[in-house]
Amino acid sequence: MKRDKNLPLTETAYYILLALLKPAHGYLIMQKVEELSDGQVRMAAGTLYGALEALLRRNFVKPVQTDDSRRKVYVITDEGKRVLCLDCQRMSHMIHVTSREGLW
Amino acid sequence: MVKKRRFFLDLENEEKWLTEMAKQGLSLSRKTVFGYELWQIPPQDTVIRIDYRHFHCPADFEDYRMLFKDSGWEHIAGNKPSGTQYFKRTDKEGETQIFSDTASKAARHRRLSNLWLSLALAHLPLLISLIYSGAVDPLAFLKPRLLYYTPGLWDMTGGSFLDAFLFETPFAIMGGVSWTLFPVLVCLCIGCAARSEMQYRKVKHGRKGGF
Repeated sequence: MKRDKNLPLTETAYYILLALLKPAHGYLIMQKVEELSDGQVRMAAGTLYGALEALLRRNFVKPVQTDDSRRKVYVITDEGKRVLCLDCQRMSHMIHVTSREGLW
Repeated sequence: MVKKRRFFLDLENEEKWLTEMAKQGLSLSRKTVFGYELWQIPPQDTVIRIDYRHFHCPADFEDYRMLFKDSGWEHIAGNKPSGTQYFKRTDKEGETQIFSDTASKAARHRRLSNLWLSLALAHLPLLISLIYSGAVDPLAFLKPRLLYYTPGLWDMTGGSFLDAFLFETPFAIMGGVSWTLFPVLVCLCIGCAARSEMQYRKVKHGRKGGF
């Protein structure tokens, strides 16, 4: 089976997409990612901006209209959801085979 | 307001210098082509960081600055097309870096390298058309005699040669130097591009993440 060329997602891309299941602006995404990752992924502003730009370019997220004229709000797209799902399946497969092979 | 003339090729060195200046009570207010304009303020224990980005639309620029502001970084200098964006840390306990992974840290150098390269490429057609139109003669680099136009100058001897030679030399230098500027500019741009590209590779491969 041919694997989707977008896989695997980086850890930060994965968490940003997960955070954007609900619309959020930049700083909110940073907080959400930190919370989702149990404080393990702490993104700095420049890094998040670049990551969002890359996700926009790949059509995984899109801007949404809001009242806040100074901050852009983003949300995941259908394409983003599809890739997120695929990457999740990829990782659960890894967990499944790891346990089957008797690591623990 | 204090003006200081400095030129940095290294963003890291520029950051260090500006941070040091802030500690001495001089806070960056504006970057110009010639140098830096700094406010006199009470000395601040802060950190200055530089990002490199262009913006086309004002809303994108505003959004970018708000993201940094929310995360504890005040945008102190730079505008939409300037590229270099200067940030000062506002939260003493906050982050000291604006990049949290090697890839994004390196990407900043890549963006800078692309700018220099596009500047070099923009000058290239001009240079080529100057050579083809005959305004620029690359041979003159090897034979500076071509820059002298007085008929029979090189057959003269003694005092008359010296007079004619010295009289024409300033014109020859002007004629030579004025068009030498383009190739030099192009080479300079390519040099800066190569340097940024090297820094990009150094940062990217310097510390391997994970495997």
